[in-house]
Amino acid sequence: MKQRNILLLFLVGMLLLLLSWMHLFVLQQEQGTYSSLIFWEFQVPRLLSALLAGGGLSLSGLLMQNLFQNPMAGPYVLGINSGASLFISLLILGAAPSFLNELSYVSAAMTGAFLAASFMFVVSKRVQNTQSLLVIGLMFASFTGAIEAVLQSFAAPEQVKQLFIWNMGSLQQMSAAQAPWLGTITVFGMATTLFLVKGLNAMVLGDAHALQLGIKVKQLKIVILFVTALLAGSITAYCGPIAFVGLAIPNLARALLKTQDHLLLILFSVVAGSFFLVAIDVLILLLDPWMTIPVNVLTAVIGAPYVAYLMLRQR
Amino acid sequence: MITIQQAQVGYHTTLIDIAQLALPAGQIYALIGRNGSGKSTLLQTLIGQLPLRAGSISVGAFTLEELQKNAALRAKQVSFVASMFTGVEALTLRAYVSLGRVPHLGAFGRLQATDLQFVDKVLQVLNLCDLAQKDTRKLSDGERQLASLARAIVQDTPLMVLDEPASFLDYFNRELLLDQLQHWVQQKPERSAVFSSHDIDLCLQKGIPILVLHQQKLTLLAKPTKQEVMALL
Repeated sequence: MKQRNILLLFLVGMLLLLLSWMHLFVLQQEQGTYSSLIFWEFQVPRLLSALLAGGGLSLSGLLMQNLFQNPMAGPYVLGINSGASLFISLLILGAAPSFLNELSYVSAAMTGAFLAASFMFVVSKRVQNTQSLLVIGLMFASFTGAIEAVLQSFAAPEQVKQLFIWNMGSLQQMSAAQAPWLGTITVFGMATTLFLVKGLNAMVLGDAHALQLGIKVKQLKIVILFVTALLAGSITAYCGPIAFVGLAIPNLARALLKTQDHLLLILFSVVAGSFFLVAIDVLILLLDPWMTIPVNVLTAVIGAPYVAYLMLRQR
Repeated sequence: MITIQQAQVGYHTTLIDIAQLALPAGQIYALIGRNGSGKSTLLQTLIGQLPLRAGSISVGAFTLEELQKNAALRAKQVSFVASMFTGVEALTLRAYVSLGRVPHLGAFGRLQATDLQFVDKVLQVLNLCDLAQKDTRKLSDGERQLASLARAIVQDTPLMVLDEPASFLDYFNRELLLDQLQHWVQQKPERSAVFSSHDIDLCLQKGIPILVLHQQKLTLLAKPTKQEVMALL
């Protein structure tokens, strides 16, 4: 059983490498001639965006599902992206242009993500069933969306356009200079979760049980909230809100691996999440000669029916 | 060994008042009481989940206060079997039982070969081997209850506390549970177990000491008869 899972992990890892190479190749074909400048400034950052956002979002989804003890939790459905989005809007519209830099951008997104996650966490304690939490997440998202709309009515057309493009979600926004930032933050978040494995495994039984097994539940939850905000916030800052990856991939991981061992789930979610988003971007590139599809449209086409299926199966 | 002194147990008001009581190790104790008498509250106190309103209780070498402050220490001293475990998706019975080893594992939570051998041995004793790879959501209530006992056994603590551990078990498994508990406490001198139950007759038949909880009072009957128990209820 365990060997089968390790084999599966290895297989998806290999496929990811193959697909990443294909991604660069397709991008190359589109470009026509090879130019090292375009390769490093445009092609590699785009691949890195897909890899990091896919892996990071599905890992943050896995963490949230553990924290909320709800398999339907995820950064998008619970409004974590919306929190980040609202704070970025506030920054773009409110701050002086000289203040708009890497650090302010990412900190705004992470603050928004952390506040949203904490808010949802507090609310979740009052909600008994799985589905109600999602409804509250949706309400939260549409509420922040409304505030953003009001804010935008005060904004200059240029700012509105900037926000609109960012809100579509895209893997092409991150520049070569930004890639190391997102890379460092995401890898740091991922590495931290590896130290949480024991606690995450015990948390599956609920707070009281985990406490009885010697886990410092409160501390663990704060770390999970922080890492989730770190991952979802920074990715949202660089790529815009990307839907469904965070919810769908960890569920797929549990269904395929049939385990609650979070070491395996973490590794598989990261690799499969990266694979999923790179595959989607390859598809976008292949379809590009005929139509331009935003990344969120494709994640929704595949992700939304799968999530609906999961809900139905939940009885 | 559990020592209780001037303890007042309860959430907002005192539900149980115990002047003095000592429960020597090497025994299992059946906690008997009517519905709503506070059995679960007392058990929650014993496992350190609910603070005492007054007085002190010590478990082995530690007071409850010490155990409450240190979750890791508590997990090595006290194990708990809740009355109900509803199962978790994708968590197999063997993986569930293995979680009992968590307090003894390193930072990354990896199970060693000795841990797995221990788990498999306990599964065998409780006749759970055939169900080892089954999803805990697909087990029957009784099977899950036995699995919870197995999880507490592999946690390997001096004290085990069980809240109505036999409520879903059939007659044969009730006997198996009590036999295994008695066997378990005899394996190490410092061990003891307290379980709540409504099955007075079976406890009497097995010669188990009974703690009767009635109208805020807890009475220990070391060699109980049915008349004595009934007189106290």
